[in-house]
Amino acid sequence: MAALGYIEILDAKGNVTERVRIDSLPVHIGRAYSNHVVVDDPYVCPAHLTIEQNEQGDLIARDLESVNGLYASGRSDRVATLALRSGTQFRIGHTSLRFRSVEHPLAPTLVDRGVKESHFASPHVAAFIVVAVLLLLCLESYLGIVERVTFAKVVSEPLTSFSMLLVWAGLWALASRIVVSHFYYSQHAMIACGAIVGFSALNVSSEWVEFLFPFIPALWIVGLLGTGLILAALVYGHLGFASPMRRRSRLWAALSVSAAIIGVSVLSDYAGRSKFSNVMEFNGVVKPLDAAWVPSTSVDRFMETSQKLKSDLDALAQKAKASQP
Amino acid sequence: MIQVLCILTLVHALLIASSIGNSAEVQPVSPTTPEIFKQFSEHVVKIEVVESGSAAKAAIGTGFFVNARGHIITNYHVVSKLIHSPERYRIDVSGVSGLTGQAEVLAVDVVYDLAVLRSNSHPKGFLTLESKPVEQGTRLYSLGHPRDLGLTIVEGTYNGLLQHTLYPKVHFTGSLNPGMSGGPTMTHAGKVVGVNVATEGEQISFLVPAARAVALLERTAKVESPAAGSFLAEVGRQIHTNQERYLAGMFSKTTSSVALGPYSLPTKPADFFRCWADALRRKELPYVAVTHDCSTDDYVFVSSEQSSGIVRFYHQLISTAELNPAQFFTLYSAQVQAGNVAPFGNEEEVTPFRCQTRNVQTQTGKLKAVLCARQYVKLPGLYDAVFRAATLGARNVGLVTTLSLSGASFDNVQALTQRYMESIRWRR
Repeated sequence: MAALGYIEILDAKGNVTERVRIDSLPVHIGRAYSNHVVVDDPYVCPAHLTIEQNEQGDLIARDLESVNGLYASGRSDRVATLALRSGTQFRIGHTSLRFRSVEHPLAPTLVDRGVKESHFASPHVAAFIVVAVLLLLCLESYLGIVERVTFAKVVSEPLTSFSMLLVWAGLWALASRIVVSHFYYSQHAMIACGAIVGFSALNVSSEWVEFLFPFIPALWIVGLLGTGLILAALVYGHLGFASPMRRRSRLWAALSVSAAIIGVSVLSDYAGRSKFSNVMEFNGVVKPLDAAWVPSTSVDRFMETSQKLKSDLDALAQKAKASQP
Repeated sequence: MIQVLCILTLVHALLIASSIGNSAEVQPVSPTTPEIFKQFSEHVVKIEVVESGSAAKAAIGTGFFVNARGHIITNYHVVSKLIHSPERYRIDVSGVSGLTGQAEVLAVDVVYDLAVLRSNSHPKGFLTLESKPVEQGTRLYSLGHPRDLGLTIVEGTYNGLLQHTLYPKVHFTGSLNPGMSGGPTMTHAGKVVGVNVATEGEQISFLVPAARAVALLERTAKVESPAAGSFLAEVGRQIHTNQERYLAGMFSKTTSSVALGPYSLPTKPADFFRCWADALRRKELPYVAVTHDCSTDDYVFVSSEQSSGIVRFYHQLISTAELNPAQFFTLYSAQVQAGNVAPFGNEEEVTPFRCQTRNVQTQTGKLKAVLCARQYVKLPGLYDAVFRAATLGARNVGLVTTLSLSGASFDNVQALTQRYMESIRWRR
């Protein structure tokens, strides 16, 4: 005879610990060994529940006047009967049960990342990328040194950042091990390396844009958005290895984490700006570029546009005056 | 900007002090110092600016009677708190022989740091002002309340008017101290030649020439009751007129220039500027920095948080034979950004800064140009401004130059910025 379905006993995380095939009705569930499904839970009665078919042919779970009763999953009101469809979850005593028919639809088969991305995680590629990022960090540090260059000065800061990167990857690997039972250490390290390269590129390009086009207002917003995107990509990548989440939920998680971080920095920036300060806010970045390539304005035009500065200040002074007693 | 203000503040620590007065008696024989003190100390008063709410003094200084109607001369900076917040302060005066009373402000000269008060108690005598210069080396006697220690007499020497200053000042060789501001410095005959105003320490002190006090008194003669409300508008007008006078034509084409590396730059645009130059060459540094710094010595005291009338500009040339262009420009960028915080200014007196940054093509080359300005809240139409420019195009040499103005009209800020920018030249 073909099976009707399965009664599944679930643990606290919702994972199946035991699965009992149902071939015929009614099905008896309880702590006694005479039942079809024996539940090892002191809060369950020896004969707690039956599953039977009503006149319409629907499956019904019926409480056999047990001590602790029957509950639909997630509800706090005790019920005497509960209609069961494939996937219906319910609770007796401290135990969660689920009914699934044999036709219950299945999620698509997951791709085993450990297999698919083996080339990405190959020790040679990983070592190459790690060395490349370390060199990039050293180059940045070298170009930023304006005193006499010594080896120690060049490498000390990059090495610190690099060890932070390794620790960061290690924390994610630990999370991966707990959640999906795999470390994926080199994958996490690669993702972190990618983010470092991304931040460097963003930094360099925003400096050049600031230098070439100082008149574009609120350029910092673009920088902030770029930072947000890199952060989102970072979280998205790490979650891919450290959680069984699907693409869409990973994307949402990544975007909300980066939106939260950006939101906090915008708020603190706003708080900083609305406070009075004696700081002249301008960006002093200059780059070694042949003067012919630098877009420029005329002296007269510079003076004309400074009129805007005056009207801004007049408005500020008006505001300051109005707010004084 | 920061450095400018700091330097100036150090250079002229203002005094808050007191003095003696005398009628027109002529002494055939020079009296001794005790005699002078005895004769004139009653004409000098201690001035206390008292916070009305707490009845505690907020500032003290010295003043002296100049006529029988109770008119007192002192420094503007002694009573500046009252000028800024007339509703919060009052002026108490007290003399050595128990004279006490209150005083009101009749007129101020913010540029020369003078104020005329009128006391409601009648003086027993007064001092006369001597507009004519006396001989260098003449013995002078200064009276005042140094650090509120009681009326003090200080001997010193007249050393003429300062050379090359924006505002004439008497160089008095004697120890003036805070609290003596506004007090008289006079000859043995009680002729006041100047009003105590500032010190540079080590017996170098400055007086406002008596002629300025005479002029202010003349303007005040007809004033029966002080202008209702605030003197602040008058302070603003005086600063405005003053800046129009000394900034006119500054950095015009005839301004002399100094060569720094491949650039030619303005220097000493007027007699009242002092310029200094220095170079930083150290073995451990892979670059050389040469600086050229010019500044006016004088400034106008507006309030304890605000000065006006300072012009400073400085050029910094950095060059390297060792750093590669990327490293050099890291250094250069930091130099362009450096010193972007003004030393003084609070929310009640100034707006925050606003800046404009552009790459600008001048006649001989390209500059990164930044103009930052803020406005005085209580003195509308006056601005502090900092203009900074950095030369572009070279790989191992760069020049950062900064012009800072305080208490100037925006028209002057623009005019000076333009002329200054045009006077930065690449030498062929």
